[in-house]
Amino acid sequence: MKTNFKKDNVNNSTNSSSSTKDVEKDLTQEEFEEYISKSGAKGSFMIYRSAKKDEELGIDEL
Amino acid sequence: MNLKESIENTMKETHYKSFDQWVQNFALNLPNIWNETSAKEICHINSEYDQKSSAIVIGRGPSIDKHEHLKVLAESNYKGNIICCDGKLVDALNAGVTPTKFPKFFVTSIEPYSGIRKHYDDPIIDKYGDQIKGVFSVLTDPSVVDRARKSRIKIHWMHSLFDYNEGKKSFNHISALMVRAKNHSNGLPAIQTGGNVGTSSWFVGWKILKCSTVALIGLNHGWEEDDSWEKIISHGNYYDSSKGVDRDSPTFKKLFKKIYNPDFGCYCILDPLFQFYSTAFKEFISRSPKWLTTINATEGGSIFGDRIHGMKFKEFLKKYSN
Repeated sequence: MKTNFKKDNVNNSTNSSSSTKDVEKDLTQEEFEEYISKSGAKGSFMIYRSAKKDEELGIDEL
Repeated sequence: MNLKESIENTMKETHYKSFDQWVQNFALNLPNIWNETSAKEICHINSEYDQKSSAIVIGRGPSIDKHEHLKVLAESNYKGNIICCDGKLVDALNAGVTPTKFPKFFVTSIEPYSGIRKHYDDPIIDKYGDQIKGVFSVLTDPSVVDRARKSRIKIHWMHSLFDYNEGKKSFNHISALMVRAKNHSNGLPAIQTGGNVGTSSWFVGWKILKCSTVALIGLNHGWEEDDSWEKIISHGNYYDSSKGVDRDSPTFKKLFKKIYNPDFGCYCILDPLFQFYSTAFKEFISRSPKWLTTINATEGGSIFGDRIHGMKFKEFLKKYSN
């Protein structure tokens, strides 16, 4: 089976139970845009944002 | 504008390239929307939520096969709701997770692309279709809904929110008025999709079905360490990735970020789309009402943190099967 990353000893890391342990640094906006434009990747849908924060969780009757 | 907002804007611009297609889809669906059922009809609870009701959302992330969760579910006595993402429906039915065994069986589709039709084009869906309740966005490609209808899946409609914040001239607002013009005087439920059918199905579980517990299997929002690079780079679509991503570039490991999941003691890899989806989904779970319990029984992936209870799937079934 193909392995992408060098295997870490997971058992040694399980005690960090309350926080995310990011192995790599965060993606920048430019890197994200470049990936989207060059790879041709497309997502399923966009995320809805509104000044009315409750509406972001849906509307019972629209 | 922070990074999360600017990435969401990038995705918004990407999706708006298909806006004309969405409008056409809606126009062609409208006569059927008028004559078919609102997604609101899948729930008969009059209160804000049902304290005794639970749902399992089935996604198609890599851990579902790795841990044989469909087989485990098929052999269980679970009595709650099954909400299956369209892309995993055929596998679920073939594994014995059928509406005959689980009568409260739903399938969700939100994507506006014709390629989704393949998820419904299978003899096993024709076999069980008349027992399945389908929850479809009004923007779904009509050929997808037609194929589901041909299998006798009962169609239930909902809106997917994307521009309602832009007021009376928004497409969400105008299309809602058109839906209300005939038979649906109270309109349809409108959901936040979170960008993908998995997050949408979680919203269907508590916003429409009003379940107080929603469990997730196959919702990794990330890849396993031993998934192939071809699969990871292409977001599982196996297109020619050689022209898109330079694997020797210094940004490569940031594009395909590796994170540790403390709930299950494992690592996963997030492509840029999963970084986008995962961040949003975790935000929405953290903002959900206190009466809702979200259990991640995926046993892998990137969904952990505030208000998310990581639990092995067998443990969930033991606790919620009665």
